[in-house]
This record gives sequence, structure tokens and C-alpha cells, in this order.
Amino acid sequence: MEHNTPKIVCFMCNWTYCQEDLQVPSNVNIARVACIGRIDPVIVLETFAHGADGIMIVGCKPPDCHFVDGNLQAERTVKVLKKLMALTGLEPERLKLFWSSPLEEISFSYLAREFSEDVWKLGASPLKEPESKISVNLLAAKNAASDFRLRVLLGREEELTEFMNAYGEKISQKEFDALLDDVVKAEFIRHKIHVLTKTKPLSVKDLAEILGIKPAAVLRHITNMRRKGMIALDRVEGTTPLYKALEVK
Amino acid sequence: MTATLISEKRLLPPCRAACPAHVNVQAYVSLIQRGKFREAVEVIRKDMPFPAICGRVCFSPCEDACARVNVDQAVAIRALKRLVADIEHEQGRVTPEPIPKKYSEKVAIIGAGPAGLTAAYELAKLGYPVTVFERMSEPGGMMRYCLPNFRLEKFVVANEIAYIQDLGVEIKTGVEFGKDVTLESLKADGYKAVFIAIGTQKGMKLNVPGEDLEGVVNAVDFLRAVALGEHVTVGERVAVIGGGNTAIDAARTAKKLGAKEVMILYRRSREEMPALPHEVELAEKDGIKIYLLVAPKQIIGENGKVKAVECLRMRLAEPDESGRRRPVPISFSEHQYEVDMVIPALGQVAETECLPAEVLSKEKRGPPLQVDPLTLETNVPGVFAGGDIATGPASIIEAVGAGKKAAVSIHLYLTGQDLRKGREEKIEETTWVKNWSSIRKKERRYEAPIEKPHLSFEEAAEYLERTKQKARFEAFRCLGCGPCAECLASMDLCEGDKAVVDENRCIGCNVCAVICPVEAIKKNEKGIAQVNEDLCKGCGLCAARCPEQAITMKKLTNEQILTFALATLRR
Repeated sequence: MEHNTPKIVCFMCNWTYCQEDLQVPSNVNIARVACIGRIDPVIVLETFAHGADGIMIVGCKPPDCHFVDGNLQAERTVKVLKKLMALTGLEPERLKLFWSSPLEEISFSYLAREFSEDVWKLGASPLKEPESKISVNLLAAKNAASDFRLRVLLGREEELTEFMNAYGEKISQKEFDALLDDVVKAEFIRHKIHVLTKTKPLSVKDLAEILGIKPAAVLRHITNMRRKGMIALDRVEGTTPLYKALEVK
Repeated sequence: MTATLISEKRLLPPCRAACPAHVNVQAYVSLIQRGKFREAVEVIRKDMPFPAICGRVCFSPCEDACARVNVDQAVAIRALKRLVADIEHEQGRVTPEPIPKKYSEKVAIIGAGPAGLTAAYELAKLGYPVTVFERMSEPGGMMRYCLPNFRLEKFVVANEIAYIQDLGVEIKTGVEFGKDVTLESLKADGYKAVFIAIGTQKGMKLNVPGEDLEGVVNAVDFLRAVALGEHVTVGERVAVIGGGNTAIDAARTAKKLGAKEVMILYRRSREEMPALPHEVELAEKDGIKIYLLVAPKQIIGENGKVKAVECLRMRLAEPDESGRRRPVPISFSEHQYEVDMVIPALGQVAETECLPAEVLSKEKRGPPLQVDPLTLETNVPGVFAGGDIATGPASIIEAVGAGKKAAVSIHLYLTGQDLRKGREEKIEETTWVKNWSSIRKKERRYEAPIEKPHLSFEEAAEYLERTKQKARFEAFRCLGCGPCAECLASMDLCEGDKAVVDENRCIGCNVCAVICPVEAIKKNEKGIAQVNEDLCKGCGLCAARCPEQAITMKKLTNEQILTFALATLRR
């Protein structure tokens, strides 16, 4: 497959590089935000969905942040996004977080060129292929990223790992990471089931085949989803129940 | 638009509240963070016309007030100001367009010192034809004639004044008030308002025997003579009497002019010295000896020339009305310092001879002019006075503050409005930081260069680049205490963005309250998140995290960011 110059989108903190000093390679498009902590994970996935080959996020190097620790929030977002991307089938290397500091002499154009090269090696985004299977995955990932469970965990990370939860327990970073890992996986699968059953009702067996996991696991997810009102029993064909997604508010 | 927003609220960060001229410190520090040095100078110029001068010699009340001292040290505000002003000078200042004259009423300003020039600058910006009358051959007042070259270069003063002249202010030098022009002649010439800002030009006397001996030169006269380029002979051994900045300046000047030994005699202890601590350090570095708790009793002469100063030792008693501990002489503690020059630097008083009798205060004590502290009006309508003449010798920035006040008063007077209405400023210091221990320590990383190194052209460019980076690093130490609109830096992007909560979607999970770096978002009694718009800085961290996506930003919404991001992809 021939591949051209990769299209890079760069989310940049308003406070890092001075706009006038920037030399932007032509394949890079910069979107300035008030702080990189502002970047909603959904926005990043949406940008991939629209055909970006790579996304760079440039923010202030800790401990400098105009908003105290917005850059660390961005770091958490990126961590989760990389997990979601791996599940989606999109190379996590396509997303990279860069720190910039006024004391460092690396220019933006250097960073951008390096990153472009890395992305070029990966090839064009698999999402660009017509009727790519990954687009379903990406939709699932996007829904997972906009759903409550993942976001609340992300938002609470600092509180839970550095202070205490409601029961006065302190969770270690390791425990939290493990938990986050589980939640990301579970949320992704549930949302994928939701996306898949949206178009036509499917059985547990069908879903297990598509998702490549055990039917028992699928059933567990479905039970959970039924409780949350994401999915409902559509009809029973023979002895096989078929499920259909419900509209989530 | 933002200016009015701020002046209505007067909720100011500590630095801006502490500045007599209320310079928008947070805004220009924020601009430096973003590397916008030129814009930073413009922001300073909105509030006062002397960025380069104040960047060098201001006593920086802003740094004393800086909230960062609760964590480590204050942000190096003065050094940053100096840098941006120097960068502008290096790159060449854009000559401003003269401001069109909106009003026909002419305003006369007496004295081209910091107070007079600021008033002229502010009035010119409003659109008044302004003429400044100055007795000396060059404008600048004490900035030009009292501050030695090593603290404030003459070209810096000249540049700043040139900017004011570019705006259309006319400065007439060599015109003495009371002789060449009087209040009557000004009125006859069609001037509708007069601002007297002649400052305090006369050095105070020691009032000890032997003051008329040859070799006793008052510090103000001494510094003025040096500034005028007159041939000044300094003695071998010089005693400077006093502990203010003028004393330090005079001592350092004498040393630089070739005096072998320079001593400063001060009657209190070092803590009470009014001079800036770092200036005192510099003087000591120059090899100047400081004798504390001594006061001159008499100056001993020989053949009409100074031979020695006889001093008394002092001890400190209870504080006086200025809050400093009063020195009390210790009897029989006379001792002598062999010197051949004595420079008294005890402060200045106004020359009241030139002032018309009707504006002078009737009282014997106190300042020579009775001035309304709020409006700066004198007893004569249409005549205003401010700066050192009204307050006694003070600082440049206080004079700038007085000049700004006078300009507002004169504008109100000339347009026939109430001078007092809405003038009473209720300033409230704010900072969003509630818990100082939560802020990471960062030591100060930038100080103004004391001596600029001698560099080749290429080296100088590199040096400037490095200094710029260091300055940006330093600027990042700013906590940004003020409310959002205070920072004009990111206005082009966020336009004072604020978070908005969709009350129907909010479930009260409190994630936003935890995330918010400035504690601007809280749950209200209904359990729904509520944004305090005064505190919200529009960073959008809450919007990015809200589990129910109930929070959006007013301006920079998710859709907006996405449009920016996809601008080139959707081709």
C-alpha cells in the first residue's frame, strides 16, 4: 500500500510554545486549547475517526502548568486513551504526549517531524480503509470514553490514590491501574455489544464469536447492561434469546 | 471591554492591589508565560508610561505582596518587567500614532517628573491637548537628575519620555513656574486646568554646626550636578549621612567618581533603613562602609574646609509615629570620622517660593500644599497638585499613581462631572489558593542582570534567547491569583471562557469540584454543581472530565475544538 505524508493533528496548550515562534510542518494541524487537561478523550477518538494518522498533544512540562496540574490530568487521559486504542486495534503509538518547557531548546518543528516519521512508519490509519472493521471498535471506544464509569474513575484518580475514598481507604497506584485496566476492557466490550446489537438483534453465541471471548463472559456483560438499561431481550429464536440495544439517554 | 469589567469589580490579585498605579501585573506575567513579550509591554503601558524605568528602579510593592511568598519566594516581577521593556527597546519601538484631540480644553502640567508626565500621558490618551512645563533643560525630573546612571541610564528615561511625546504631549523645557509662567499667565493663555507636580527638589539640612563649610554638599545637589555632567570633585574620604536610597546612590556615585573611602552614617539600625535591601548589599559590594546608630553632632573644619564629622552614638528607643524605633543619643559618646567631604542625604523638601500664595497650606506643619487625597484638588478650582509636592518625597510608582489620579480628576473637572463620585476604590485582594501546602515549590529562577555582559552580536542574540526562556520559566511561577478576566493573555483564544453546568444532567458526583484547580465549582444545596464565574478561569478541566458531560464551556466547546482539529483533515 502506498502511503503519503501522514496527517497529524496537534492539540497544543495555549501556554506552551509562542504562536509567533512556531514553525509548523505542512502536514500538521494545530488546535490550541486553554490547557491540555481540557482535552476530552472523546475529542481525540473523534479526530481519529475523521482520518487523522497521528495525534500529538503538547503541553507544559510539570511542574509548570498555568492551571496547577492540568498537564497531569492530560497524562491520565492519554493513559486511558492508549488502552482504548489498543483494544480498538489502532496502534497506541499514534498518540503521543509531549512536554515542552521554555528552558528546552527543542523546537516544535523538530518534535513534529520526528513524530510524523514515526507515524509514517506505522502507515496510514487503518480507519481510512473503506468499511474498516475498526470503525465499529472506534465507535465503541468513543462511547466508552463518554460513559460515566470510565470518566468518573479518571476524574477521581488523584483523589483515590493520593487521599482516601469514602470508606477511608487509600488505594495504591498499582491497584488503581489494575482496576482502571479492568474497567477500560469491560466498558469497551459492553459498548461494543451495544453498538453491534444496535443494527440487528444478536445472540450471546454470535457476540462471543465476534468479540472473541467466552459466551459466559458475554452473558455477564449483558446481565450488567440489562440492569443499566443499555440492552433488552428482543425475541427468542428457538431456544436462543436475541438481544437488542436500547437507546441510551 | 475587559477593562470595564475589572474596574467594576475591583477584585484584584495582591500584586495589582499593592501597586499604587494598579499595573496589571498578572496580565503581563501571563503574556510572558506565553512568550508574548511585545504585548506584555503594551499591557504595562495601559496603566503607566514607564515600563523600562520601573523595571529598573521600582521598589516593587507588587513583589512584597505576591502570594507566592507563602510557598517560596515572590515572582521576580520587576525583573520580568525590565526584560520585556528591554526587549522592546532592542527590537525597536513602534512609534505610536499621535492621539487625535477630542477636547479643546488645554491642560498645563508643571513639572516633567513621573507624576507630571503620567498625568500628561493619561490626559493625552483621553484626547486633551497637554503642555508640560519643565524648569530644567531635560524632562524627567528626579528620574533624570537624581538617579545615577548605574541605576537608571539616561537613555532609558529619554526613550520613555519620547513615547509620551509621540502621543502628542508637548513638553516645554527651561520654563520656570512662578517666573516664566504663573497661574494667571496660564489662565490667560487659555489653559483650563493646571496640575502642579514640581516634586521636592531641595535637600534637607543637617542643622548642625559647620554645615556651611566647603566640602559639605547636599546629596540631591551632588547627584544633580553629576547628572548634568558638571565637573564634580569628590574628596578622598567621603561621609554620606542618611539611610535612604538617595544616600546609597550618593555614596555609590562618590565611590565611582574616585573617592578612596566612602562611609554611610545612619542613625538607626539596618532594619530601619528605608533603602532597598539589595541596593544596600550592592553598596557594600562596592566597598562602602556602613556605620549604624551614629548621628552627626557637628562638622569640624580647618581653613574653611571639612576636616572631620563628630558623631554621637545612638540607641533605639520606643517606636515613633512612623513606626520605626526612635534613636536617642548616648551622652559622652562623641567620636570623629576623618573626612574631607560630607554629603547629607536626609530627605527633600519642596521649594515653595515659586508657588502662588493662594494654593499654599495655611498650616505651618505638614506638606506645603493642602490637597484632597482623593481628587488631588487644591484650594483653587481647576488647580490640582500631586506627587512628592503633596505627599513628601516618595517613589516613582507612587508619583505615577498620583498622576493617574490627577488625570481622572482633571477629566471629570473639565467635563463638569462630580469629582468624587465613584472614586472611592474598594479594592479586594483575592487569591484562589486555599491550601498553600498543595502547591509545589519552585525556587526563583530569574533575576535581572545587574551588569549586562559584553557580548558580540551573535552572542547577544543567543543571550537574549536564553534570557527569554528563563523569563518564561520564571513567569510560570505566577499563581494567577486574580479572577479570570484579569489575564488578558489568552483572550484571543478563550475570550474569558467560563464553564456552564447543565443542571438537568448534573448528578452531583463532585468530580468537577475535585478537578477544578481554582475551586470555582462547588455543589450547591441542591447537590448540583455551580460555577463561581468570578473564580473560573476557563481551563475546561471539568468539562473534559464530567462523567455525565453536563459541563460545557461557553466559548471553547468540544465541537469548537473538534472544528479546529479537523480544519485541514476535511478537505
